[in-house]
Amino acid sequence: MNVESVYPKVREIIADVLVIDEEEISLTSRLIADLGAESIDFLDLVFQLEKEFGIKIPRGQLEKNARGDLAEDEFEKGGVLSAKGMDALKSYLSEIPPENFKSTLKVNEIPMLFTVETFCKLVVSAVNEQKTGAAS
Amino acid sequence: MRFLFVDQILELNRGEYVRGIKHITPDDACLGRDEQGRAIFPSSLIGETLGQLAAWNVMYQNDFHKRPVAGIVSCATVHRPAYLGETLELESFIDCLDDSAVQYHSIAQINGEKVFEVEGALGPLVPMPDFIDDDEVRRQFAEIYRPVSEEEKVPVVSAAPILNADRTVPCYVFSFDRILQVEPGVSLLAEKRISRSAPYFADHFPNNPVLPMTVLLECKLDLARQFLAQAAFPVNYQFSSMRKIKMNEFVHPGAQLVCHVAVKKRDEKECVLTFRSEVNGKRVCVLEMLLRVEGV
Repeated sequence: MNVESVYPKVREIIADVLVIDEEEISLTSRLIADLGAESIDFLDLVFQLEKEFGIKIPRGQLEKNARGDLAEDEFEKGGVLSAKGMDALKSYLSEIPPENFKSTLKVNEIPMLFTVETFCKLVVSAVNEQKTGAAS
Repeated sequence: MRFLFVDQILELNRGEYVRGIKHITPDDACLGRDEQGRAIFPSSLIGETLGQLAAWNVMYQNDFHKRPVAGIVSCATVHRPAYLGETLELESFIDCLDDSAVQYHSIAQINGEKVFEVEGALGPLVPMPDFIDDDEVRRQFAEIYRPVSEEEKVPVVSAAPILNADRTVPCYVFSFDRILQVEPGVSLLAEKRISRSAPYFADHFPNNPVLPMTVLLECKLDLARQFLAQAAFPVNYQFSSMRKIKMNEFVHPGAQLVCHVAVKKRDEKECVLTFRSEVNGKRVCVLEMLLRVEGV
């Protein structure tokens, strides 16, 4: 399973959640800026992805994945990403063009960066994690 | 009108399960009428009652720091109307709960018969003081939290008729104000202006009056009836369920809410209507409504 294989279903779900045509959506579309998603849509989207792919995506998982091995206070201070935090985020969200990252980014602004591909990657990693968990 | 519907919480396991009752009596100020003129408790308000029941559990669990608000419902199904004189036996099951949202499903029964079901409800949690004062919400909870032992049964439903039910029971009409455009059988555009004097704002909520999603849903049910009356389809569709319900913005007094209704799919067995509500051109609520031909 990879981004390409889950993309058609993820795209279909995003169109359904945002009540827009699939044709308006591409892999690089930003959910908030390009597709008009709001916070409740993210809850809905995660809920629908969980149902469709039989996975569990804890809320805040994207931020946790981005933080990786960094402790919370290494990742951000006072709600603003540290330099290390920004590097970790850029590395995790490798599909997002560098120019989309502001020099100062608040933690609650991270969802502004998310693209359709970000959610495809999230699904792939959750499915793989589940398989690994089931195998061990 | 009070917009607090659970009469008694009979059993509560924090963050997991809650059971309660609501009696439908002549004292209810928001009864409606079915097609035969019988007084009913509006189906969307059964959904509201179940949502409130789940909310009591969540608020008790987090010591009344946060409260859930309506967000998403995958499917709300009506099995039959709930009539004046009956008692709703309510159950809500918390499927997932964290700091930001609750996911639950609920069922309402009358004398063991399923009348209403909510599947896949997802409500964001918001800070309590933004909506209601801490001591007020605790007092409301204390009023209704009277758990009973397993031996104590839900009151037996009486078959004896309600006194003066036809003459004296007042009914409340939940509806849009006017239809702005209509293409019979195809689409319809309606408007509802949100007045601060609507009786539900006192409880929903004291510190931040917002239109209850379930009131909007009941208005949409009425709009579906208006749409069907104008369409004059050759078959008689009856309401079955609402699905993919999503409320993504609060609607405050003063708003001019417009709702666009359109047929998504229709055949001799069922009809699916889509509803999209907007305030100032911004989406506030979307849903699909499934109507079925009875007996097919």
